[in-house]
Amino acid sequence: MATIRGEQGTVQFDAAGTTNATIVGTRSWSLTITKETLDTSVHGDTFRSFVGSMVSGSGTVELVYDPDATGQAGFIEDVVTVNDPADATFELFTTGTTTDTDSVSFAGIITDMEITSTVGELVIVSCSFITSGTITSNLE
Amino acid sequence: MTANLNTIRATIESRLATELASSPAIPVVFNNVSYAPTPNSSWVQCLLSFGANEYLSQGLTTDSQNRIVGVIVINIFTPAGVGSGANYTIGKRIRDLYNRVIVSGVYFDAPIGPEVVGTPAPEGYFQTQVRVTFEFIEEL
Repeated sequence: MATIRGEQGTVQFDAAGTTNATIVGTRSWSLTITKETLDTSVHGDTFRSFVGSMVSGSGTVELVYDPDATGQAGFIEDVVTVNDPADATFELFTTGTTTDTDSVSFAGIITDMEITSTVGELVIVSCSFITSGTITSNLE
Repeated sequence: MTANLNTIRATIESRLATELASSPAIPVVFNNVSYAPTPNSSWVQCLLSFGANEYLSQGLTTDSQNRIVGVIVINIFTPAGVGSGANYTIGKRIRDLYNRVIVSGVYFDAPIGPEVVGTPAPEGYFQTQVRVTFEFIEEL
């Protein structure tokens, strides 16, 4: 057994969906995957029954803002992509940076970007995203 | 690039040494330097110490950042029994030197003081103290 600490994680991203690259300055990420359910109960049942249905995900990535940090600008500015075809690709690593290892990957859309500047504190950027299409989980 | 704490120290101390070497020059003594003050003279003692380090971003030993913080304690000694004006004049020079300044990647916060020290050490002087916290972002 090996537990993992957050500093082992990484976020990789490519706005064009070609080659993911590490976003330097990532402070944290989170991902929630949700599976909808369909009620398959029938008349006469006394207990409800369900089947799993559509799967989708959403999450956030928080950055310590540095305009010169590799990968930050492309990530932050993807929120202003109009008519977004959801061609951006993400890979969220719990540890390391080996593709398809200890990670979750998907295409997605950045839906929200918030940048916060406060006296005496580091400038922080928080982006929210939703997944689009297949979510590939390699968290085993 | 990992932080060289000695370079940070030199950045901070040389700033003070240069200022106090200008007219009117005031002797300044730093950590681990012996000094025998001249009675009824003014002089300054600068004590620099690094404190806590903390994770700033993900990525372990590459593409990651740490926050290094520290404090500069500057003791200002002026002749006893002749009022506080000379002491505060030196205090203003020192305060202006660091107040919200960014030098070589070192962020200086708003200074604390000059605060009067009730029991001067060494005795025989009027002593005040200026403290300045600072931080440096280490990029690995």
